[in-house]
Amino acid sequence: MLGRSPRRRRRRALAESYSTGNHRRVEPRCLSFDLRPLACCEESNILSQAESRASASSVLLRLENVGKTYHMGEVSVNVLRHVALEIRDRQVLAILGPSGSGKSTLLNIIGGLDSVSEGRVWYRDREMTAFSPRELTTYRREIVGFVFQFYNLVPNLTARENVMVSTEISRRPLDVEEALRLVGLSDRAEHFPSQMSGGEQQRVSIARALAKNPELLLCDEPTGALDYDTGKRVLRLLVDACRKLGKTVVIITHNAAIAQVADHVIRLRSGEIVEAHDNPDPAPPEEITW
Amino acid sequence: MKVLDRKLLRELRSTGFLLLAVGSIMAIGVSAYNALGSAYRNLTIAQRLYYADCRMADFSLDLKKAPLADVAVIAQLPGVVEIRPRIQFFATVDLENVVEPINGIVISMPNERRQVIDDIVLRQGGYFTDRRDNEVILNDAFARANKIYPGMWIHLLLNNRRQELFVVGTAISSEFTYLVGPGSFVPDAKRLGVFYVKQTFAEEVFDFQGACNQVLGRLAPSVRDRPEEVLRRAEILLDSYGVLAAVPLRDQPSNRFLSNEIMGLRAFGVINPAIFLAVAALVLNVLMSRLAEQQRVVVGTLKALGYSRGAIFWHFLKFGLAVGAFSGLAGCALGYWLAGGMTAMYDTFFEFPNLENRFYPDLTVKGLAIGLACGMLGSFHGARQVLQLEPAVAMRPKPPADGGAILLERWPALWRRLSFPARMALRNVFRSRLRTAAGIFAAAMGATLSVDALLLAFETSYMVDFQFELIQRSDIDLTFKDEQSREAWDEARRLPGVDHAEPLFDVSCTFTHGSHSRKGGITGILPGATLMIPRDTEGRPLRIPESGLLLTRKMAQLLHVRVGDEIELRPTKGLRESRRVRVAEIADSFLGVAVYADIHFLSTLMNEELAVTGVQLKVRTDGSYRKDLFREIKQLPAVQAVSVRADIIRSVRETLVQNQHVFIGLLVMFAGVIFFGSVLNSSLVSLQERQREVATLRVLGYGPWQVGSLFLRESVLTNGIGTLVGLPLGYLLNYGIVVAYDTEMFRIPLIDPTQVWFIVIGLGAAFGLAAHLVVQRSIHRMDWLDALKTRE
Ligand SMILES: Nc1ncnc2c1ncn2[C@@H]1O[C@H](COP(=O)(O)OP(=O)(O)O)[C@@H](O)[C@H]1O
Ligand SMILES: [Mg+2]
Repeated sequence: MLGRSPRRRRRRALAESYSTGNHRRVEPRCLSFDLRPLACCEESNILSQAESRASASSVLLRLENVGKTYHMGEVSVNVLRHVALEIRDRQVLAILGPSGSGKSTLLNIIGGLDSVSEGRVWYRDREMTAFSPRELTTYRREIVGFVFQFYNLVPNLTARENVMVSTEISRRPLDVEEALRLVGLSDRAEHFPSQMSGGEQQRVSIARALAKNPELLLCDEPTGALDYDTGKRVLRLLVDACRKLGKTVVIITHNAAIAQVADHVIRLRSGEIVEAHDNPDPAPPEEITW
Repeated sequence: MKVLDRKLLRELRSTGFLLLAVGSIMAIGVSAYNALGSAYRNLTIAQRLYYADCRMADFSLDLKKAPLADVAVIAQLPGVVEIRPRIQFFATVDLENVVEPINGIVISMPNERRQVIDDIVLRQGGYFTDRRDNEVILNDAFARANKIYPGMWIHLLLNNRRQELFVVGTAISSEFTYLVGPGSFVPDAKRLGVFYVKQTFAEEVFDFQGACNQVLGRLAPSVRDRPEEVLRRAEILLDSYGVLAAVPLRDQPSNRFLSNEIMGLRAFGVINPAIFLAVAALVLNVLMSRLAEQQRVVVGTLKALGYSRGAIFWHFLKFGLAVGAFSGLAGCALGYWLAGGMTAMYDTFFEFPNLENRFYPDLTVKGLAIGLACGMLGSFHGARQVLQLEPAVAMRPKPPADGGAILLERWPALWRRLSFPARMALRNVFRSRLRTAAGIFAAAMGATLSVDALLLAFETSYMVDFQFELIQRSDIDLTFKDEQSREAWDEARRLPGVDHAEPLFDVSCTFTHGSHSRKGGITGILPGATLMIPRDTEGRPLRIPESGLLLTRKMAQLLHVRVGDEIELRPTKGLRESRRVRVAEIADSFLGVAVYADIHFLSTLMNEELAVTGVQLKVRTDGSYRKDLFREIKQLPAVQAVSVRADIIRSVRETLVQNQHVFIGLLVMFAGVIFFGSVLNSSLVSLQERQREVATLRVLGYGPWQVGSLFLRESVLTNGIGTLVGLPLGYLLNYGIVVAYDTEMFRIPLIDPTQVWFIVIGLGAAFGLAAHLVVQRSIHRMDWLDALKTRE
């Protein structure tokens, strides 16, 4: 026990508090990412500045007048218009809106998967819209964790290996076993996706996102393909990721009830934010119904 | 191991048959490269070592008879390093228990063992001893074929006298690596032997004290590539002794045949592997594009997770590299084994001291590199396709396959007439362009290879038939030592069992027309001869003019003459006076540089009444006379060589045709792998792509065979079109080979390809159907309910 590093002990403590369902809010200081300047130039830029800002400002991402237009032959579709938005550290943000309203597009832009047609996006005080492809890759690798509606596990890999897909490229990954334990799937580690239920697959997907130890967790309709109870369980995991691990969590949903668990809610319609409000008293996932 | 590599391994394993299809085509490409390359080197190395061991002559001069003191001047010529005068004669051999006469080449060797040009390598027994003068060393193949061992006595008819010789040993020599007798072009160890006798013995028997009739020489490396000048000057120096032939190593019969074979190996060592590898790369492309398509979501996810473009590209490229590495290794192993087979086959008709199949590490490395390069080339397109996917696709469900009308549908009159399955097949064929292109290309190459291989086979047997059925119709040919008169013909006619005899008069001479000059020979035949009928390429008998010469087209081209021109000819034997003679006729023939004339005209031209250098015999078919006939022939002093048509045909069929069949069988099998592999690959890929469609059809009540027939239609369409494209291509390739082999010796006849085309269509259909059976099995086994449930 003496030989154990403080870091490891901290993770251990995290995992324990997680699995015992202890709701005590963990001190942000010890949960914030250890983003020391890195050797690689552009990465060190992103990350060192991120670090310098981490404690000073609570704004993680800022979108300024973002617009997105898709061109399909002669037709062009305005998918997003004049979107202005601030995402704060360690909060749960819910994006509500009917199907086709541009939620996924917005999330892709936030996650560095898609480009904007108009406006600017800031990560801390770095302009994301000016990132090179390599910087975008680094951003996705180090800052963001994705949870997909249809899980998107690699079919040929077991649960553990799917998590390893994340840990292998990440600079400061969680231990694979711990990530699986966080989502309560230690005993299914050797199963292939085809041998797991949807809920289990989504938990592997969450474990995969968490295992990278990202700052930002982006979830596109994470419960959309799940049944009611499983959906709630998954929601609990995501809320805990924020409350206990100090992640910033963005959840997309077309289900207004789910928004009750968020600290902040925005509503999209036809690519425009039509409503934005804070939720001073978020409900625990167990208490909401839909 | 990286987790993505584990994914790769599992994918490789689950790709199963598909991988086998691609891998086997690639492996065959590599094995062809390796086998032909190894065989090429085996032969080249064996040739080099053997030539060095035996101190192979760079040139030889055949003379009538020259004093040793006078030929010594040849050694003084610039560029000549060393010469060896020797005595060489033809003989007929009389072996107990062998009815047929046997031809022999008698060659003088030093009494004491010492290194000479065109030396021998002893195989059994030893060199000459002091015990007797009449000792002989036999060439090994002849001794083995006729079961003669050191310690036995044999009889040779030398210079009209029957000689008894004691066998002291057997040997081989590089000058007879490929030993063929008169009138044949394949070795027949039983009927042709080489007899090395003591120098003193040869001098005495042939009355050649202090004289020789052949000079062998070695040249300095600087002039070895251009011996013409040396030979020209040697001919001038020895002109008074009658130079019958001046042959550079390049034209030495054994060396020429061996070198031709080696050159062929090198040419085929490039063409064939290239075809296979091109097909393999394309077929792999189809597979990889499918893989990339199948994994769009995985790719999107990896990108979303922060994998760089390079890492993902490399991951997909590795798939191809793995296939390439595996096929490369398998190909090298297969290639080594094939090279062993080929080398063993070469060992049956080339006589080498040790022709062995060596292992060439660099060929293996190159084979592997070729496999890897091919794998990379094959997966490049797919891997790049992966890169072009936007990372956001991971978030979106797969768009429906791009439908839309194909070109043909704009022609409603035709389209409406097609059945529903035909329309489906056509739509699929037109929509998956890469796959269709790959299928057509593969089938075309398969057809090209098999058409070419089969045409060569048919052409060879056509050539053999043409020569021995149409042109040469005698049963036994006698060649005389010198010019004989009409009596020799009459005597031959009276031999037991002979129905009919016709004389031949061969004159070897130098033809000159302006500045063009060539050594050659004129064959004088009887007007209306029935045992030797020169023919043109159409098989029509050539009309031999009453006066003047008939030249084959090749010879006419070499001399730049046209009908009506006069050429000068100077015989290499006899008085060697020049004569002028008119070219009366020029005709196409498969036999390169032949020249014909009426025997009476030719005799008159040579100032003879009727000269005869050979007689052709037609004998009775019952065979009771055989023993008597051959016994008498063996005793004819004037006979230098005897050729029995049945023996020649037998040995031709045994060696040439049989070996060629092995080659062709292999080639057709390889082409089959292409047909099979490509159909299998494209159908299985198509099946995977359309699992949902198949499932839907099954729900609608289609049986597995009905579903299979939809896929069969597509295969038939692409495979059929490809095969049809390949038929003329194969003919063209064959045409190219025929033109390339249009040497002075002979031409390969071009034959009508229709029959071969039908065979190849049958082959393509058979291999394609076999592949379809595997596909059908997959359809039967498919868990289509599952396919309906799962998302892509
Ligand atoms: N790559 C694309 N090309 C064209 N249109 C697109 C593309 N991606 C999304 N869209 C369109 O943008 C609109 C918003 O899509 P999306 O962001 O996926 O909506 P949501 O996630 O809210 O359902 C839809 O109308 C969709 O058809
Ligand atoms: Mg969406």
